[in-house]
Amino acid sequence: MREAAALARIYLRMLLGYVRAVLEYRTDALILVLASVLTQLAGIVFLTTVFAQVPALGDWQRWEVIWIFAMVVLAEGIGSLCFEGTWHLALYINLGGLDYLMVRPYPVALQVMGSTLGPNGFSNAVLGLALLGVAATRVDVDWGPVTVGWAVLLMLSGVLVKLAISLASNTTAFWLRSPSSSPAGTVHTLGDLARYPITVYSTGVRAVLVVIPLAFVGYFPAASLFGKGTAGTIGAFTPLVAAACIAGAWAYFRAGMRRYDSVGN
Amino acid sequence: MRAHHRTLTRLAWGTVLAYRADFVLQLLGVAVQTVAVIAVWRVVTAGGTGSAAGLTWDQLKAYLLIAFATGTLMSGFTDWQLAERVLSGNVALELVKPVDYQLARFAEALGYVAGEVVVVLAMGTVLLVAFGGVPVPGGAQAVLFLISLLAVIPLKFGLIYLSGMACFWTESYYGVGVARVAVTNILSGALVPIALYPDWLQALCRLSPFPGIVSTPALVFLGEVGVAEAVRLIAWQFVWIAVLWLGARTVWRLAVTRFSAHGG
Repeated sequence: MREAAALARIYLRMLLGYVRAVLEYRTDALILVLASVLTQLAGIVFLTTVFAQVPALGDWQRWEVIWIFAMVVLAEGIGSLCFEGTWHLALYINLGGLDYLMVRPYPVALQVMGSTLGPNGFSNAVLGLALLGVAATRVDVDWGPVTVGWAVLLMLSGVLVKLAISLASNTTAFWLRSPSSSPAGTVHTLGDLARYPITVYSTGVRAVLVVIPLAFVGYFPAASLFGKGTAGTIGAFTPLVAAACIAGAWAYFRAGMRRYDSVGN
Repeated sequence: MRAHHRTLTRLAWGTVLAYRADFVLQLLGVAVQTVAVIAVWRVVTAGGTGSAAGLTWDQLKAYLLIAFATGTLMSGFTDWQLAERVLSGNVALELVKPVDYQLARFAEALGYVAGEVVVVLAMGTVLLVAFGGVPVPGGAQAVLFLISLLAVIPLKFGLIYLSGMACFWTESYYGVGVARVAVTNILSGALVPIALYPDWLQALCRLSPFPGIVSTPALVFLGEVGVAEAVRLIAWQFVWIAVLWLGARTVWRLAVTRFSAHGG
């Protein structure tokens, strides 16, 4: 436990170190924040227009859909805010940059993940939480200490699933060796599909969202919270899925590290 | 088009071929968005039997497929190439060349558009197979649609070129590019037909060049507007092309005066 606290403390120090760099480029940080707010606004405009036409998407009521949407925004926000470095892994590998990190007494994966910070993550996390807050008052859930606790656990699990997917998809770079993170970017792009109840899609797309467990970021945990039949039952396993995803991504990264052989210079 | 412009177009096409995997993956975003948006609208129109805002499911599908096509054209490499030149300082080399910078970039962009046309045809076919066919216009309507579709290319170029020039004032392009896509998504009618917006938002759209990117070609394709109205909307596209093209020249003159490349 003390070890975990030490790991977390050093991680925080790394991130705070990067905050200074962000403050150096204030205009760029502000533009990024504005850009991410506009991006989420586009999604909200879309949902608002849709729900001006119909009261529900199949079994899913307006604020339940917004809950899913908000969970994805929150997960992406925390991903950018605290683990943006994950997206630089391909470049580290391509340039042999992990050599330096390997001589330090701190997990290489965490050093990479904490190496930068995305200011857009801050606005996304705040916006996601705000939307969840508003949605919480509109959805048909009997909030008590137990349901609140369960909702928070589901939320954290969804965030962890998203982090694990980002880490695992970027870890593929150990095998591809290209400096580009676009294969991982593709997986991230597919995450846009998981902003809506997956029941709107055909079987093929649903299967993709379950296999790459993007549906466990928002849809399944929300289904559990709102008691949506089979999906809700599956959703109750989200914390276990999250634990498995993190363990899997970590093991995959270790396999990648064993393959890593630096570069010639 | 002069010989050096043709060369630039050909070189850009070569870049598309050399980086084909990244090129296609970069365009995947619009395709994924299209899948999500079409799937949601299918549910809204009661699995394709009902209608929304006076548009049947087939019409909505056609609308969103046009949005996919115009969203993909002129979107892949043009952005980053423009920004990269400024951020790396390579734009300094361009300044000494006896070539009109803006026209040269447009010639390059056409090379990328060639690649995007291939992607649109391939992914569009997949989407058509997945979601079913759409009614196709004929006669005058088809001609008007083709004109409005072609107008999208210089129109989008104007917007992208202008946003790329923001890099003279910023240290990174990422945020500017994301913001441009987000604003385009909202104001062009890429996600929902503009007619479904509240009045104030519709008015805002009409005051901007963005509807010319999606709404105009899509509405003309559907025959939702008469010939006179279609001609009027297309005329607006060309007005905006001219405004953005000339506006970009002014911004460029301002920008180069504050440009300072690194000593290299």
